[in-house]
Amino acid sequence: MSESRKAESSKTVLRRDFLRSGGAVIAAGTLGVGAFEITAAAAPQTDAAKSYPKSTGYIVYDSRLCLGCQSCMFACSMTHEGRANPSLSRIQIIRDAPSFTKYPYDVVMSVCRQCVSPLCVQNCPTGACHVDEANGNIRRIDQSICIGCQRCIQSCPHKPRRTLWDSAKKKSTKCDLCADAPYWSEKGGPDGHQACVETCPAKALKLVAEAPPQLDITGYDVNLAPPSRKMGGPGMGFPKTAPKPAAKEGA
Amino acid sequence: MANGYAGKILKVNLTTKEIGIIDTAKYEEFGGGVGMGAALFWDLAVAPGDWDLQDAFDPRNVISLMSGPLGATGVPGGGRTSVCAIAPETYPTPLFHRTSFGGRFATMLKLAGWDGIVIHGKSDKPVWINIINDKVTIEDGTRLWGLNTFETQGEITSHVAGRTRFGQQWHQIGEDFTTARPQIVCIGPVGESMTRVAALIHGSGVSARTGGFGGVFGSKNLKAVSVIGTGDIEVADPAGVVDTRLWHTRNFGRAVSSPGAACCMPCVNADRKRNSYYGGESMCADEYWYMGPRTGGLGMGGDADVRMRGADIAIKWGICTWATKFGGAIELPVPDAPAPFKGTVPMEPGMGWYIKYLYELGILGPGKQIDSYPLPMDQWDSLNFREVFCDAIARRVGIGADLAEGFLEAVQKWGRLEEDMNSGVLRLPAWGASWHHCLPGVTWAYSYIFMSGDPMWHGFFILSGGTAEELVETMTKKMVPFDDDPIMLSNSWKGEEAFKTGIYSPHKAKMLAWARRFAGFYNESMSICEMMLPNFIARSANGIAGPSPELEYRYYKAVTGSPNTFADTIEIGRKIWNMERAIRVMAGRHRDQEKFAPFMHMPGATFPIGGNRPVYVDGKWSFESQNDLYLDREGVEQFKTHFYRLEGWDVENGWPTRKTLEELGMKQVADVMAAKGKLGG
Repeated sequence: MSESRKAESSKTVLRRDFLRSGGAVIAAGTLGVGAFEITAAAAPQTDAAKSYPKSTGYIVYDSRLCLGCQSCMFACSMTHEGRANPSLSRIQIIRDAPSFTKYPYDVVMSVCRQCVSPLCVQNCPTGACHVDEANGNIRRIDQSICIGCQRCIQSCPHKPRRTLWDSAKKKSTKCDLCADAPYWSEKGGPDGHQACVETCPAKALKLVAEAPPQLDITGYDVNLAPPSRKMGGPGMGFPKTAPKPAAKEGA
Repeated sequence: MANGYAGKILKVNLTTKEIGIIDTAKYEEFGGGVGMGAALFWDLAVAPGDWDLQDAFDPRNVISLMSGPLGATGVPGGGRTSVCAIAPETYPTPLFHRTSFGGRFATMLKLAGWDGIVIHGKSDKPVWINIINDKVTIEDGTRLWGLNTFETQGEITSHVAGRTRFGQQWHQIGEDFTTARPQIVCIGPVGESMTRVAALIHGSGVSARTGGFGGVFGSKNLKAVSVIGTGDIEVADPAGVVDTRLWHTRNFGRAVSSPGAACCMPCVNADRKRNSYYGGESMCADEYWYMGPRTGGLGMGGDADVRMRGADIAIKWGICTWATKFGGAIELPVPDAPAPFKGTVPMEPGMGWYIKYLYELGILGPGKQIDSYPLPMDQWDSLNFREVFCDAIARRVGIGADLAEGFLEAVQKWGRLEEDMNSGVLRLPAWGASWHHCLPGVTWAYSYIFMSGDPMWHGFFILSGGTAEELVETMTKKMVPFDDDPIMLSNSWKGEEAFKTGIYSPHKAKMLAWARRFAGFYNESMSICEMMLPNFIARSANGIAGPSPELEYRYYKAVTGSPNTFADTIEIGRKIWNMERAIRVMAGRHRDQEKFAPFMHMPGATFPIGGNRPVYVDGKWSFESQNDLYLDREGVEQFKTHFYRLEGWDVENGWPTRKTLEELGMKQVADVMAAKGKLGG
């Protein structure tokens, strides 16, 4: 690990420790600010760190295939909340159409990683954010005991944060792989189907059983293109990029 | 509020800077989109009776940007924005017109709590409208005036989103958060100078082109409207919306065969580009505005990357590529075409193509009868020419001053209108609107004259699949309430059959009426993208029946929970159609004006693609290649009579009767028309 990476990692751990040790609630203005590249798994474990059983399901994605259509976001909020509200979608597709960021950075896919070392779970003071052993160890929030302290939101180390704030309910929420999606007609959870995966017209999302590499943000951004699909070509402006790792089968 | 609606419409008076709210419920009988836009235009611009509706740049012109109830609910393609107003582009006078654009604007408008926005008056200085949920402000736009559409959107995004880093942070609005960027519709320099060829631009290439509504923004000193919202939309059956979508995509969805971007939020098509050029979201007319070196044939020719650079210029300047076409994607042999074409006709010979035609004749050029300054005519087929072309129009320099006033207006000024209309060189089917697939599918062509130009509806563009009998039987069943008359689908155009069962018959009037009602309700008012739906004919295990119109109806029911039957929705489409008609009549429309340009009656009128049509001849159905179709003048006149009669309009003048309007619950409209002596007898 480079010196700069070590320093960044150390900084992350200090912040995580602060949160887990019951530090004061961070002001709302800091939401979304956290370590970008270093996840919990990469950070050195401390005595206080718990070990959690791994989730049996993970959603991986291919940001080159994404159309930026946000179908997944509407499907997510509709199946979970019964209303269309992209702000309450547990998956966020961020498209920079007005500001014209160049491919492939024009679309950012923000998917809950079901972290191997979930800081949202570690820092929840009530156990609302927990590992659901009855549903493949997915990391989820039980809103009936959520006190709205937002610790799970503040402790999510990813940008943008994957945990959400529902201002109407004054509760947090997060991706549950559709284990509890009241308006989803199909079986959800890590053994079932997810509304975002099923509605994606580009097949840019996929459920896998094995945890992707936790080292950096690219671990979940994989190659989901069928072999016949050309990723370059005139008009599309796709630069020749290094091949992505293929998604591991499972689930 | 009803399911699918945000509940309120924003009303902005740019003269007084007054910001008001209209209850959406008052207009729900018109569905949304164009239906609501037309009804609002009637109430705000026509009914008061103090304006003759002749000048698109009059501050009394009311321009609406409306969503439909399916927008912001996850219905694919349901997020289009409809635009209605008196349009500067139409010829010989500005006419009431409607168009639409995709993208994310209408969706975001609804999430901010608004079903639409109506804008009237004129600001005394450049402004832009800033909508952040319920907070609406009219901002100083002086600094934005003169910027291109990309720069404008960039500046506004920075203003609204502040220091929120794209893709890394949530943006807090009140107690809520969003990762989205503000969605902006704006004009470029071509719109600012009140030309008749300016588009409204949204994102990196989405645009509302026909009508030239960019000039209306310019006339109001309105540079842009920006919106960002964090709210939600209630629907009647959330699971039903998602289930219908899965039924749609799993059984009938277009396969995404190559990577790309969707236009609408959300969509299921990848028909836009995620490329490294600004105009990445451009398509068709923008992409074919500059073709680069052609390689010939149907393969579009040239380099797609080069074409996108042309689109980039058009979008940046905010010019309407529809009004300024340079020839379109392809040119094909049409042996019987009018002599000036010398046997080869470009698909879309518009303003850009015509100036080259005059240049080659030696009429237009440096120091010629029509001075081409500042256009570098010897570089016509170059990107540089496109830039100079836009600049000249935007600044009204030299020939640009003529072109800024519109295509046919320029031709008229140059004294060539009659000659070039009669020779067939000017292939603009009606009202100065450019060619767009309007023959041999005559319902498209007829829509041109009864509306204000291009209907922009591809629903019947391709009508083939299976045997002719199979196709007709499948289609007829879908076309309630005319599902007892399969003959309406016959496209016979020669001899007696054309008048008895074909394109001039009372049967064909039903097909046109159904097209307008279906499109008026589902595409233009429910705001479902017409490039995606309807899909009437599709190959599947169950035969050739595509999912439409069942699919659109299922979406409508799941979102709104309305008890309306499908036939009821088609009847609402008729109501919307009559509201549009009433506005046009009040602005002066008369049967005598509803005529095609001369070339439509000449051999070579059809551009030869998509020519196979079902015909019913001597009691039998078959497919006929109709690339040689052109229209008979007397036949069109007879068709007009059939169509007016079917619609309950006076066959003498084409005006709706009181009986028709009252049957549709439009007594107040009838009263206003009667007071002005415009009611049909």
